[in-house]
Amino acid sequence: MSEALFREPVVRLDNVSKVFGRSERATTAVRDVSLQAYAGELILLLGPSGSGKTTLLTLIAGLSQPTAGRVQLFGSFIDDYTPRDLQILRARRVGFVFQTFLLLDSLTALENVAMVLGFNGHSNLQRRRLSRALLERFEVGYLADKFPRTLSQGEKQRVAIARALANDADLIIADEPTGSLETRQGLDIIRLLHRQARERRACVLVASHDLRLAESADRIFRLEDGRIMALDSADDRAFCAGV
Amino acid sequence: MDMYAIRILRSQPLRLVLTVGGVALCIILMFFLLAVYRGVADGSVDYIRYNRADLWVLQRNATNILRGSSLVSAAQGEQISRMPEVDSVSSVLLLLATIRKGDKVRTVFLTGYEPGNGLGGPPRLAAGRPVAADDEIVLDRSFAAKYRFRLGDDVDIQDRRLRVVGISGGTNAFVIQYAFVTLRLARSLVGFPGLATCFLVKVKAGTNGGLVAGRIKEDIPGLGVYGQEDFLQNNIREMKSGFLPLMYTVAVIGAVVLTVILSLLLSVNILERRKDFAVLKTLGSPMPFLWGLVVKQALLIAAGAVVTALAFFFPLARLIERLSPEISTKSSVGQVAAVIAVVGVMSLASSLLSIGRLRRIYYLEVFS
Repeated sequence: MSEALFREPVVRLDNVSKVFGRSERATTAVRDVSLQAYAGELILLLGPSGSGKTTLLTLIAGLSQPTAGRVQLFGSFIDDYTPRDLQILRARRVGFVFQTFLLLDSLTALENVAMVLGFNGHSNLQRRRLSRALLERFEVGYLADKFPRTLSQGEKQRVAIARALANDADLIIADEPTGSLETRQGLDIIRLLHRQARERRACVLVASHDLRLAESADRIFRLEDGRIMALDSADDRAFCAGV
Repeated sequence: MDMYAIRILRSQPLRLVLTVGGVALCIILMFFLLAVYRGVADGSVDYIRYNRADLWVLQRNATNILRGSSLVSAAQGEQISRMPEVDSVSSVLLLLATIRKGDKVRTVFLTGYEPGNGLGGPPRLAAGRPVAADDEIVLDRSFAAKYRFRLGDDVDIQDRRLRVVGISGGTNAFVIQYAFVTLRLARSLVGFPGLATCFLVKVKAGTNGGLVAGRIKEDIPGLGVYGQEDFLQNNIREMKSGFLPLMYTVAVIGAVVLTVILSLLLSVNILERRKDFAVLKTLGSPMPFLWGLVVKQALLIAAGAVVTALAFFFPLARLIERLSPEISTKSSVGQVAAVIAVVGVMSLASSLLSIGRLRRIYYLEVFS
């Protein structure tokens, strides 16, 4: 944590709130959240369904605007970016991993990864070469020409992570990445993400309700009714063990 | 072409086949209308185009022979022929007449001309020979095919029995067909011996046709005189004014149906793959990439439909001509290119109509 004090955060939230709807029908999904996330760490946003984890991720990714407070991404305020800037930012520096993988069914594993590279102007040849290398890095190179419907859940998530990293993402946003996986596969995936944080100095934000992921997290934030509670690793593991 | 666009289309083969088929039908309709138009246009004015008179002389205010009434007299023709600059004057009498053969009664555009004079006869003969006597007739090829008239058949016009001695081409004006008899017979059918519809005038070599036209108008009041090209254009314009609005209307309907079919398919494909598009947006796909996916699908379907339409159109046109000989079609590379260009434009239009749906796909749809 002390190292973090001297670094620029990849993500910084200052008193961020998000309210959906108006007047009596208004629902507060995120309340007065402040946090900082740094390169090289995996942060686990832990909380039950409806606690505001996903909303928080969409705010961080610039996919929705906060009702109050400010979000900083890569040193700049989100509201200073134009929609086009945000699109370029997501294409070049942010990777996404989803609970249901969301691979494109009509494309092979290789083409799913290659498509993201296409957003960054890589040539066809480069896209195929880089995509194959990524799939091999995640031990699914042999599935390059398979369509998602023929893959197991674990294989799909590995391909999805390869897709998330295709742009050499500095920030990886994973929403319930283990939600559709068996325990062993889930732990494999979270370790894989953790390795990306360590080896590539990426900032990895994982939203999950799965307490078993805590052991692989550098820091854990517990969310309840949109409020966030920062816990250090030791405390959190104790908290999780208690659960 | 983008593999993803191809795979999206291939994922629903029946829908793809139905869409390509529907669009192909619209394209065939457009090909067909253009081909019929060209056939009618040529059939209507070939008579004028091939009878290359230097001047066409009609009653004043009659500008064409397709939808105009003109009556001129033999005396006026003789007056023209006496002019020193005039080489020859051929009289032509056009009238609507009914032909009978047994219990069959049909109407033709009966053209009386002077066979020995060289002008006013059929543009070309598909079979037989031109008329040489007053009891002979030349019938249009499509008319003869439709009503099964053959060389050597006898037909009746009023109380005259005529023998079919020739079959002509380039004489099908779609709604009516030309038939050729001698001028003398045509005049006797009308009952006015010196009557004609127009004169086809040849001027002497080296003589300015415009000067002769001016002199005819000056010397013989009540006549209108046109050069060959002006007269041809008058008739084309007249033919177009009656025929083209209908063709355009049907062609526009075909193009609109094509656009609607394509838009429908593209919209359904977008809605069905809503989540995929949301994922692509979230992953940072530039909007032009997503628009491109829609446009590529439209162009792929259009290309498939054009190929299908081309494969079916020509055999279909031949079949229709066989079943309805009065329908004559003519196609050219230019026509095909024009239809393909229209299909391309309408495909892009249908893409634009569907692209609007992409804006209403939201990032948050990808989060569970």
